[in-house]
Amino acid sequence: MADFLSAYSIQYWLESCPQGYLEDTEYGHAPGETEPALLLDDPQLRQQSIRTTVQLVVGERCALAASSGLINAAPDEASKRYLATQTLDEARHVEIFTQRLYDLGVKKTELEDVLREHANPNLVKFAEVLLEKVDKKDFVAGVVGQNIVLEGMAFTVFEMLHAGVKGVNPKFAHTLSGTIADERRHVGFGENRIGSLIKEHPEKKPEIERMQRDMSYYMLATFADAFRRAPDAAERKRLAQDLGGRPEASWHGVDLATADPKDMEQALADTVLKEFKTRLGRIGIEYQSPVRP
Amino acid sequence: MAESGSDVHSLSPDRFLEEVHSFEFWFHAVEGYLSATRFGRRPQTQEAPLSESERDRLITVLCHYCVGETAALEASSGLIAIAPNRLAKVFLATQVVDEGRHLEVLLHRLQDLGVTEPEQEIERRATGSLLAFKRRLLELVEGRDWEAAIFAQNVILESLEFTVFQAHAETADPVTRDVLQGIVKDERRHIGFGENELGRRLKVSPHVRARLAAVRHELDPLVLASCDETMAQLGTPPAERPEIGRSYLAAVHRLGFA
Repeated sequence: MADFLSAYSIQYWLESCPQGYLEDTEYGHAPGETEPALLLDDPQLRQQSIRTTVQLVVGERCALAASSGLINAAPDEASKRYLATQTLDEARHVEIFTQRLYDLGVKKTELEDVLREHANPNLVKFAEVLLEKVDKKDFVAGVVGQNIVLEGMAFTVFEMLHAGVKGVNPKFAHTLSGTIADERRHVGFGENRIGSLIKEHPEKKPEIERMQRDMSYYMLATFADAFRRAPDAAERKRLAQDLGGRPEASWHGVDLATADPKDMEQALADTVLKEFKTRLGRIGIEYQSPVRP
Repeated sequence: MAESGSDVHSLSPDRFLEEVHSFEFWFHAVEGYLSATRFGRRPQTQEAPLSESERDRLITVLCHYCVGETAALEASSGLIAIAPNRLAKVFLATQVVDEGRHLEVLLHRLQDLGVTEPEQEIERRATGSLLAFKRRLLELVEGRDWEAAIFAQNVILESLEFTVFQAHAETADPVTRDVLQGIVKDERRHIGFGENELGRRLKVSPHVRARLAAVRHELDPLVLASCDETMAQLGTPPAERPEIGRSYLAAVHRLGFA
């Protein structure tokens, strides 16, 4: 364990993250990059971007609460120190996505109201299931919920968003690519650290599987709500052209510019759930199909 | 974010807090003094030979520091949950990683000194006063007492560490000096947060002062005892030890919490 955790040291984190891929960035993107003018001028498009970004802030606030809360529950010093880096990663994500809301015209005094107005209730429930485990200082369940389920979902959602915006909004694409690099590290820690703990505590499996089933349900419900509000394919293609970017944006075999929102939702859900199955299998947890809690 | 090189003190109070509590500010602050180090040590710094008793006393002192840094890591992470706003949460997240780094560089130094099982060594050499302080600090965090916990951590504990580490750095071997000087730079930022956060609260709720005085009355003996134990290990003559204690008391006094 000690050798594996040495790859998650704060020294390694400093060299690879702040002094690595975040070097010369400002709020996660290159200095001077701005949101496209059309996105700021079109009320509907701006509102849609705010709604999407609110979900990112809500998810990252949950991740910040979970990773900081898990430090005191960690059974060894090296895990505590790793979680310290994850805590700061999550705080940075809260900061950069909050900054994006300001860039989109949200006033600082209105921030909390905007978050309350647009936060998806299913995403809030998803967070509550995880934070209940953290509050009980249940390290094993907390890390599975945070580093496999929440981070696994975030990783895939960010990749999809990145594929969708990289041709039309370099600023947001750059912001996302830094967070994707962070999430990759978090998911890796979850898989590597928890496998051995699950072996030591097999009695915890049923409870963890229940948590994953409930979180997966609320995650799919969040996706369904989000894509129900998404513009249709013709509208997206027109917007991409107006933004001056490439209309094609392929992700996992789906053309994000022309696919029906239902097909996009299906592709996202399939990708996340497939990842869950693979990652949970690696740590000895049996994937549970989502059921309404 | 403020233009590079601009003075943050020229910003409006709200903008100042937004700036100094951000990840961006933390990153630019630590980049200056950490980018050329590995585990807190500059590459050109050479080990100085230590006698066996000097090495053993240094190990004991570093173990004491590890207890303090673990307390700070656990307390600052626990405080995120009860922080009153996003800026305080983000600042505390930077403090969490600072405290985690302090623990890491001290553990690394212990390994340099030949300690193969640092965690067991820390447990073996920890003093009762430090452990009692840690327990009380974490109780304040668990009790969700924001003002008292911030006071105990960002004023009392950080002032103690600032005073002791600075004094130790003056006489330490070159590698330990590098490590301690890097830590002291972080402590300044943490004390600044505590002072600012509590100062603003005391202005609008002066009754908080009495509660903080009670916390201090309870913790001061533990702080002074652990200060004395550490100074004894460092070979500070008994006549000079009260001076370190006075420096700690003066540091807290300067912050306006006497």
